[in-house]
Amino acid sequence: MIQFHNITKRYPGGYEALNNVSLNLQAGEMAFLTGHSGAGKSTLLKIISLIEKPTRGQAILNQINLNNLPNSRIPYIRRNIGFIFQDHQLLFDRTVFDNVALPLIIQGYHHTEIARRTRAALDKVGLLHKEKSLPITLSGGEQQRVGIARAVVHKPMLLLADEPTGNLDPVLSREIMQIFIDFHQVGVTVLVASHDLSLIEELQKPVVTLNRGKIIHNDLEPVDV
Amino acid sequence: MSDNTHQHRPNALSRFTAWLMHHLQSLVFSLGKAYRSPSATLMTVAVIAITLTLPSGFYLLLKNIQTISGDLRSSTQISLFLDMKLSLENALQFNTQLQQRPDIATTQFISRTQALTEFKQSSGFGKSLDHVKDNPLPHTIIVSPASQLDTLAIKTLLSKLESLAEVDIAKLDTEWLEKLFTIVEIAKRSVIIISLLFSFAVLLIIGNTIRLDIQNRYQEIVVTKLIGATNAFIRRPFLYSGVWYGLFGGLLSWLIIELSILVLSGPFDSLNLLYQSQFTIISFSFSDFLIIICCSTLLGLAGSWLAVARHLNEIEPK
Repeated sequence: MIQFHNITKRYPGGYEALNNVSLNLQAGEMAFLTGHSGAGKSTLLKIISLIEKPTRGQAILNQINLNNLPNSRIPYIRRNIGFIFQDHQLLFDRTVFDNVALPLIIQGYHHTEIARRTRAALDKVGLLHKEKSLPITLSGGEQQRVGIARAVVHKPMLLLADEPTGNLDPVLSREIMQIFIDFHQVGVTVLVASHDLSLIEELQKPVVTLNRGKIIHNDLEPVDV
Repeated sequence: MSDNTHQHRPNALSRFTAWLMHHLQSLVFSLGKAYRSPSATLMTVAVIAITLTLPSGFYLLLKNIQTISGDLRSSTQISLFLDMKLSLENALQFNTQLQQRPDIATTQFISRTQALTEFKQSSGFGKSLDHVKDNPLPHTIIVSPASQLDTLAIKTLLSKLESLAEVDIAKLDTEWLEKLFTIVEIAKRSVIIISLLFSFAVLLIIGNTIRLDIQNRYQEIVVTKLIGATNAFIRRPFLYSGVWYGLFGGLLSWLIIELSILVLSGPFDSLNLLYQSQFTIISFSFSDFLIIICCSTLLGLAGSWLAVARHLNEIEPK
């Protein structure tokens, strides 16, 4: 699903966020990405979601080389990814339902299909009864669950989460992680960046640890050459 | 998971309907947004309207001047003062001869008696002229040249007529007309320059308004982009905002000018009365109205397009 071949990302000014990183996450796998803040976790996720381009090396997403992709194709690649942000990034001027429906609207689904899938996604995260609420009226954990519903509503094959439990208490964090495990069990590839080490240990999934832009621990299969 | 073989993809018809729906939604959404912040919208629209009022007002002024000067050109006449020794019969006969010429459209014969009576009435000398024994006025023929003649041909006609034995003096006063036409030509070009400058100003005003709007919704744009929205999708509501600004600006500027004409028409009518003229202020024709509205709408679209294109590019991967 995701293959990184010797990826280096250097920002203007010389700061090196990733240094010669190679990684192989296979389809249907679930893994955690850990490391201190500034270790390069976010940069790695940004390269997969095409927000950043690597300075050197090759990034491949489901056999598509992300390096020389024309900008016009980027939206269509992103539609296969569900992205969950630390601060959930909900749009506060519209209802929970409209937030979750957005990926489907973007992709041009019929409105009956939109309603069906949106309700199914909200049901999955246990927030169907809040569909008409505004995000501002929800608790932090509920907002994050709306963010997850939005990320999975269009049934992406890959789920990327950047510190999804960063602002939540341990009980809520465990709930959120359980939702990811549920998706993994139905065949979705999941990559979660987190520094909640005790929780990660509990879940017994492969872990990739970054330190100052280098991989120092990797439970995944090595990259096939 | 390749980007074109997704099993859950909506079909082409559904995507087209959705595309149409999104256009409609953006149209209504942007209008609603304008409605929800009426003072800001009104201010932007007013600035655009005032900016548009100047070039379209100048255009209207020019159109009026052109009509007046056009009337003057078509009323170009040559006055022939006939030889004093010519009898009335001979003069009438000469008039008939002139009427048969192809380079003359019509003639108007004024006998010396007629001329004197008219002069008495209009000059205000009235009774004092009764004491003049001999009528000092000659027979006069007012010649209107054939309409296809240009200025040069009219001048040739003038010298031909002057050389005739029956004619004492032939008179054509066109020099001031020439000057007027030159001035009108200068005004015409000035209007073009002014229109271009002010159109550019409208473009910048709308572009700047849309830019602020984009900045306010920057986070929303980033999120929408991340979940797979194309640039066209993101651009759409902003473009419709620009279209609305342009459309309303154009309508308001048209209204301002129509009201100005209403205000001006009162004094203009009294001026007509004083000069016994029949000039009326020409307002916009329907096609003028359409052109103004189309231009302002297109400017709105172009202005927002420039702003959106610039700022969307900033969010591409680096």
